[in-house]
Amino acid sequence: MAQEADFKCLRCGNSFRAPYSPETEPQERACPNCKSNSVRRVKEQKEAPGKK
Amino acid sequence: MTYSEVENVTGYIGNFKVTIRKKARYVDEKECNACGDCVKVCPSCTPDEYQMGFSTRKGIYIPFPQAVPSSYLIDMKTCLGNNPIACAKCQEVCEKKCIDFDAKDEVVTVDVGAIIVAVGNDVYDPTELDEYGYRSYENVITSMEFERLICAGGPTEGHFIRPSDRTRPKSIGFIQCVGSRSKKRGNPYCSNICCMNTIKDTVLLKDHYPDTDVKVFYMDIRAFGKGFEDLYMKSKDEGVHYVRGLPGEVEENPETGNLIVTVENTTTGKIEKHELELLVLSVGLLPRKDSDVVRQLLTLSRTSDGFLMESHPKLKPVDAPTRGVFLAGCAEAPKDVKDSVTQASAAAARANVILASDKLTVEAITAHIDPDLCKYCGLCVKVCPYKAITPTDRKKKIAPQVIEAACAGCGTCGAECPFDSISMRHFTDAQIYAQIDAILDTNSQDKVVVFACNWCSYAGGDFAGISRLQYPVSNRLIRTMCSGRVKDEFVLYAFRKGAPVVLVSGCHFADCHYIDANRQTQLRVEKLWDKLEKNGIRPERLQLEWISAAEGQKFAVVMKAVEELRQKVTAEEIEHTKEVLAPKPKKKPVEEAASSA
Amino acid sequence: MVRADGAEDLRVGVFVCACGLNIAASVDVEEVRKFAETLPDVAVAVLNKYTCADPGQQEIKRYILEHKLNRVVVASCSPRMHEPTFRQCVAEAGVNPYLLEMTNLREHCSWVHSTDRVAATEKAKDMVKISVARARLLESQDETEIPVTNRALVIGGGIAGIQAALDLGDAGYQVYLVEKEPSIGGIMAQLDKTYPTMDCSI
Ligand code: SF4
Ligand code: SF4
Ligand SMILES: [Zn+2]
Repeated sequence: MAQEADFKCLRCGNSFRAPYSPETEPQERACPNCKSNSVRRVKEQKEAPGKK
Repeated sequence: MTYSEVENVTGYIGNFKVTIRKKARYVDEKECNACGDCVKVCPSCTPDEYQMGFSTRKGIYIPFPQAVPSSYLIDMKTCLGNNPIACAKCQEVCEKKCIDFDAKDEVVTVDVGAIIVAVGNDVYDPTELDEYGYRSYENVITSMEFERLICAGGPTEGHFIRPSDRTRPKSIGFIQCVGSRSKKRGNPYCSNICCMNTIKDTVLLKDHYPDTDVKVFYMDIRAFGKGFEDLYMKSKDEGVHYVRGLPGEVEENPETGNLIVTVENTTTGKIEKHELELLVLSVGLLPRKDSDVVRQLLTLSRTSDGFLMESHPKLKPVDAPTRGVFLAGCAEAPKDVKDSVTQASAAAARANVILASDKLTVEAITAHIDPDLCKYCGLCVKVCPYKAITPTDRKKKIAPQVIEAACAGCGTCGAECPFDSISMRHFTDAQIYAQIDAILDTNSQDKVVVFACNWCSYAGGDFAGISRLQYPVSNRLIRTMCSGRVKDEFVLYAFRKGAPVVLVSGCHFADCHYIDANRQTQLRVEKLWDKLEKNGIRPERLQLEWISAAEGQKFAVVMKAVEELRQKVTAEEIEHTKEVLAPKPKKKPVEEAASSA
Repeated sequence: MVRADGAEDLRVGVFVCACGLNIAASVDVEEVRKFAETLPDVAVAVLNKYTCADPGQQEIKRYILEHKLNRVVVASCSPRMHEPTFRQCVAEAGVNPYLLEMTNLREHCSWVHSTDRVAATEKAKDMVKISVARARLLESQDETEIPVTNRALVIGGGIAGIQAALDLGDAGYQVYLVEKEPSIGGIMAQLDKTYPTMDCSI
């Protein structure tokens, strides 16, 4: 049910997965490593990564 | 209005519009004269919340004898006969015919000028502290339960008995700081009231039953208020035994139901065992769980302990950060009755300052739309969190208008308008460009341009200052009311002028002082990241952070982080950025509009 | 005396505050003051020990009148703290309160860079420069008045809520008291006696 997407932290460079659904955007996110809110979704993959 | 909840709040100081849901009581509270005929016939029984579950109440009930309003109500969760009418015995016996099973929740809207938040606290549930055996041993109770057992209006009519065998306990122990002052479980803060509450309980016990052996296990006794120390001394004089040390373990003797408490007495350094017939856990206070709803409706913030944050800890202790809203009682921090009353009167006096005036002035920071520049795209109407902009009509060429009384001055519309037709009074584009220029026209490579919202991140910076936290000198702040004011063009302009790093900062989503204007901030920053990347500029150079007014620590950490990023930005990179962003500055706003439309 | 008109000559007054030693300990305030004098359209730059205190405010008013200032920059503490103070101060000297700009030398500079006086002073100068740049473009504004509804809402019918509602009621206002539970009284109604005087809670 819960969709996820790849995110990248623009402070420390950490990549991680987090819940994501276009309907509930924007969402406040924090990097699990450095707590920065400069978290960017990695879009490149044309396929929306559904349930894993 | 009892049995009611605030559902929505709109408006601003002096002019709040509040929607309240009055839950159906199914008994007409004006007609009901509390004769109690209905209760006798009600067949449904449920634990009585008021008596902490020590006794039962019916499906139709009055919460407690002195309740106001003094009227019965039906709890639909336990009533049998609601739909279809299977029971309805109460309806038959009610002479005044005040029972109506079809009663509906009622929603009313009221206009008020000031709001006092006195949502109170919850009480800590010690179940998680398994070493104390609450819920596994019958004779371990909480201080709230103790109150009911000793109260003349309680389930035992004041005959103090213990739960397991309904006999009067001859030895009673109290454990202090249950759920308080612990970093591991419960809460780190001191709940303020529990020491004195226990002292009071011991004096009560000694008054009623002088032969009872009473022991108190404590870390420190905090008896700092007027008359408090006297009561503590009285308790000691009456023979209450105070043992310094919190028990590590409680065991039950299954035959007698007595409790064996193992404790290291830190005064003597010895491990002691105490056998007690009843054990009372002196539980701490928690922020009220459901206060979150009210908090969000009124855009209030919490301090790290979870209680509501005051506008200033010393100078404005009862003002909430939202103008026209005040705090009273345990909503703000754990406190006793006297302090609650004191704070409530203070809050009333502060509210009076507003209510006593017919008019107040609002800061002149509202938006203004120039109809000649407007291209009727309607974006501003869409983003305004206050719905303060009247609709556009593209065909009829009707430009939107800002309703000044409703505009809060967040500047989101000004940042969104692709045609620069919106000007923000006192935070104009020109002023902000001038600030960026002033920052970057000398030694631009050494500086980080920071956009900080007035309420949270700028205030977080103030708090870092008050806390004397040290951080690098590279940041230069530009204050806006809301981070939603930050136009993409501001950021691009800064990069074009040679800024190595730009930081956009605002309130956490839950704390936004303009409802949800900072959602637009995030969307804008996300778009900017894409745009920078497309132009071969590292998106890392644009940072986004949410910093609350209480997060001075985070402010300092962020300032260090952006400085580290700044040091990694090379001179060539900055030159390259200037070049790629320079040639067609005019076209950019138009592109933005196209991509976001 | 309100000079909002951009066509008129800009005359900016900069008031640098030492805040006792709060600012002066880590920022060379005299150097900041001298630097401020060199900024465009600055007519006068003044150093004060405590700008927010009465003598400091009197000084601002005196300079406004003597130097015909039409923009004022106060480089002291956070605008979140003293903007209302100085807005009122300049207004009393006939300058529109929106022609005031503050530089937060204390919370955002001296207190957080207390170990490097040279760097802190450089930053302080830069901050004043940014403020002057903004001040030059400030426009006077008229505040709008909004009516006030003379009613109050109290959320929560525990002891605090009841007390607040009673006080406001006694002051003659209509008060709505909203309580979630079926009865007012809150937690206090569940207590038996209250300390320190051991009286009954209901
Ligand atoms: S400034 Fe904010 S509140 Fe005012 S009209 Fe624009 S978006 Fe709405
Ligand atoms: S965003 Fe600008 S152009 Fe579009 S309708 Fe609003 S004022 Fe007009
Ligand atoms: Zn990170």
